[in-house]
Amino acid sequence: MEPVLNQAPEIKKKKRKLFSFKNPIIYIILTVFALVNAYPIIWMIINSFKSEKEFSNNQFGFPSEFVFENYISAWQTASLGTLFTNSIFICVTATFLTVLIGATASYFLSRFTFKMNKIVYTLFIFGLLIPIHSTLVPMFILMRNIGLLNTPITLIFPYIAFHLPITIFLLTSFMKQFPKDIEESAIMDGCGIFRIFWSIILPMSRPALATVLILNFIYNWNEFSFALVLINDPGLQTLPLGLASFAGQFTTDYGGQMAGLTMSLIPILAFYLYLEKDIVNGMTAGAVKG
Amino acid sequence: MHTARNTRIAIVFGLLPAVLIYLVFAILPILQSFYFSLMEWDGFSDMKYVGLDNFIRLFQEPLFWNSVKNNIYVVLASVLGQVPIALFLALLLNRKIKGLKFFRTIGFLPVVLSTVVISLTWGLIFNSENGLINELLHIIGLGELGQNWLGDTKWSMISVLFVIIWQFVGLYLIIFLAALQNVPEEVLEAAKIDGASEWTTTWKITVPMIWDTIVVAVILCISGSLKTFDLIYVMTHGGPAHSTDVMALYMFNETFSKLQYGYGSAVSVFIFFFSLALIFVVTRLLGKKMI
Repeated sequence: MEPVLNQAPEIKKKKRKLFSFKNPIIYIILTVFALVNAYPIIWMIINSFKSEKEFSNNQFGFPSEFVFENYISAWQTASLGTLFTNSIFICVTATFLTVLIGATASYFLSRFTFKMNKIVYTLFIFGLLIPIHSTLVPMFILMRNIGLLNTPITLIFPYIAFHLPITIFLLTSFMKQFPKDIEESAIMDGCGIFRIFWSIILPMSRPALATVLILNFIYNWNEFSFALVLINDPGLQTLPLGLASFAGQFTTDYGGQMAGLTMSLIPILAFYLYLEKDIVNGMTAGAVKG
Repeated sequence: MHTARNTRIAIVFGLLPAVLIYLVFAILPILQSFYFSLMEWDGFSDMKYVGLDNFIRLFQEPLFWNSVKNNIYVVLASVLGQVPIALFLALLLNRKIKGLKFFRTIGFLPVVLSTVVISLTWGLIFNSENGLINELLHIIGLGELGQNWLGDTKWSMISVLFVIIWQFVGLYLIIFLAALQNVPEEVLEAAKIDGASEWTTTWKITVPMIWDTIVVAVILCISGSLKTFDLIYVMTHGGPAHSTDVMALYMFNETFSKLQYGYGSAVSVFIFFFSLALIFVVTRLLGKKMI
């Protein structure tokens, strides 16, 4: 005991010294990191309020006066209104359907034993490994063959199909944790299989459902490649696709580009700051579980 | 009461929507790409069976190998850039400091943004005339270091790789932080009492204890880098002079610009097996079961 007792105060002193010396360096490194991460976005938002002339003369200061022309012209030329409507419709529909049919499948995969269970589950999990881009060309051909190119609902199908694996993976592992007695007592009370799902299992899975809802929403909101390949009609474009083609057409309209980007950023930024904890948990859930 | 038959019917109905949509829109395209890869087809006229000709052509095509090489750069930059930076920052953040939540929020921010927004923003930042970087260099008196970052073959790939690293450091940072918080405090305390320095504790105890998570991060990183498409498509379109071309972009251009659906499908098939093989090899090497 003695040596430990003797050492203890020394360690305490050393620790304190270590921290007082290290803390500033730690903060400097972290601040540099935060700046590198956030400044590009802040830079863009600030400059979107500057006139063309001020942008080229004074990039780093605050705008001398706030100019909203960039916003008006970007909203019109990029038809941001249409893009927002399309994105919201596709995103909400695909997210809702993915979670609904994913949760139903997860319920049967996690709470029932039947012959094909393992095979079906493995098949879905395999989907986590499929490189999405290897399916762009065949997806285009498939959609053209069944006449689903360039329709308002085109994107919903691949979005559901490619996000079912992660949805089912997260939901089954959550639903598996519930004790078996739940169903047994419910059956005693005369509940049907779907009734148990709807009134017992689904409400109990609320945290996991929130995770997959957020995850799906962000994936769908940001998705670009399928939209690029499957949608040509400007009236049906989603936000990322529309922004990319807008920027491609008006390459030198920096103010307009920045205003358009800022407008498309705001909803997701607000969503992120409001639900930060859930979003972070959702987007890392797959990795942490795996 | 539940009869066995009723239960079976319920299972079938419950699984049917998910299985059906998944098979038709995820599995079928892959199987189809195997079939199309054996054909010569412009997408409109009749298909012609050509056996393995598409693959033979593919393997002899220097531009294809160029895109494979660039893709490997992306993988290397991600694994050797994102993972160590994220681990370093996570270790810094994993202590009782003020502002932890702030740094986490800012750190994760790029992960939430759409790749298109990120690419366009960085496109403006790298702009050779009015871009942030050249302006910054100008202000601190190093104007002659300014470059046409995305338009010069010497710098284009480096610039793109920088943005790729920037985009995902936050994801791994959060993953590592979560793992670090599970390392029991007593172990670290014990090491301290035994006189181990912070450096030794980190390398001998903390890192080995989160090794599994590091492996998962590396796997995610590899499969993520192989999917690189949006970012480069929007930022440089693979140019200038194919200096930033990657496999998916090569496939896209060969298929849709040159209307070679058979050849494009052969590239798809290659990407599919290349990705699976790489993930398989890495999981074996690092000693972790696949998923």
